[in-house]
Amino acid sequence: MARKSQENPALDMTPMIDVVFELIIFFVVTLTEAQRKDETIELEDGQHGIVLVPENLPPTHMQIDIASRDKDGRPLKKGRISMGDREITPDEIGRRVKEKYRKIGEFPILIRADYDVKHEVVARVMNACTENGIWKISFMAVAEDKTSKPGRPGRPHLSRVRKAR
Amino acid sequence: MARKPQENPALDMTPMIDVVFELIIFFVVTIKQEDLFSQLNANRPAPATGKSESSESDTTVTIAIGASGDRSANGVLVYNSREITRKELDANLRDVARTSTKTPIIVRCAGNSPHKALVDVLDICYKHKLFSVSIFTM
Repeated sequence: MARKSQENPALDMTPMIDVVFELIIFFVVTLTEAQRKDETIELEDGQHGIVLVPENLPPTHMQIDIASRDKDGRPLKKGRISMGDREITPDEIGRRVKEKYRKIGEFPILIRADYDVKHEVVARVMNACTENGIWKISFMAVAEDKTSKPGRPGRPHLSRVRKAR
Repeated sequence: MARKPQENPALDMTPMIDVVFELIIFFVVTIKQEDLFSQLNANRPAPATGKSESSESDTTVTIAIGASGDRSANGVLVYNSREITRKELDANLRDVARTSTKTPIIVRCAGNSPHKALVDVLDICYKHKLFSVSIFTM
């Protein structure tokens, strides 16, 4: 009995479980990485808004990103509007909203706009939505700041705001 | 050689190292904190109906947002045809909310005003539970 027989019925599961755990962790990490969107967008603080849990958003919602800079950080006059990872024009947003509205009726629209973007860019996006039936627009803001660096121009860091109150 | 002796000097480290790596990965993943986001809802008026102007009641509060002259990118808030700071707006809206939190708020944004100012105003409205906010673009 120096070696176990090849047809041992009690197979050792431990390495398999290890590998499976490793895979689960790997996919969880890469998935959260993939979900992270346009990094150039910095949101304004809005501590009093409704707390946004991405998992609680209805799957029908539509998120539109508006950046004030290009991917290399150079400021853009007209902003950069995108959905998912793709740049998009307001006309195209209008078409998509219209199509979706015809299919499922009202759905939430979430605008994730940089703090520095000009209102006219946001207005163009909002108009594309209202012209096609969606009147309610939500804006995304930062409720609790954990990752962004303090001292961004024109934005007091939250901890300082809290202390001042 | 059915069982290894209890006092085996060469202890197998492999499972321990596995577990330690697992723990390291777990903590690395969980420690990275994300910003917590909030959502501010607002309404848009119907385009090109033009009747919203006349349907404004006396109680409607209008806040105008313009671009600031300097390059501070903070925007300028105008309330009751007077330029005010965010703190003053906060105090004003507190009074408004004391009368009624159902008071409709109209925010008029200039095209060249920064989005930041709009979010600030919406946030102050939400702070005082004034939820019926409409955004007009000038």
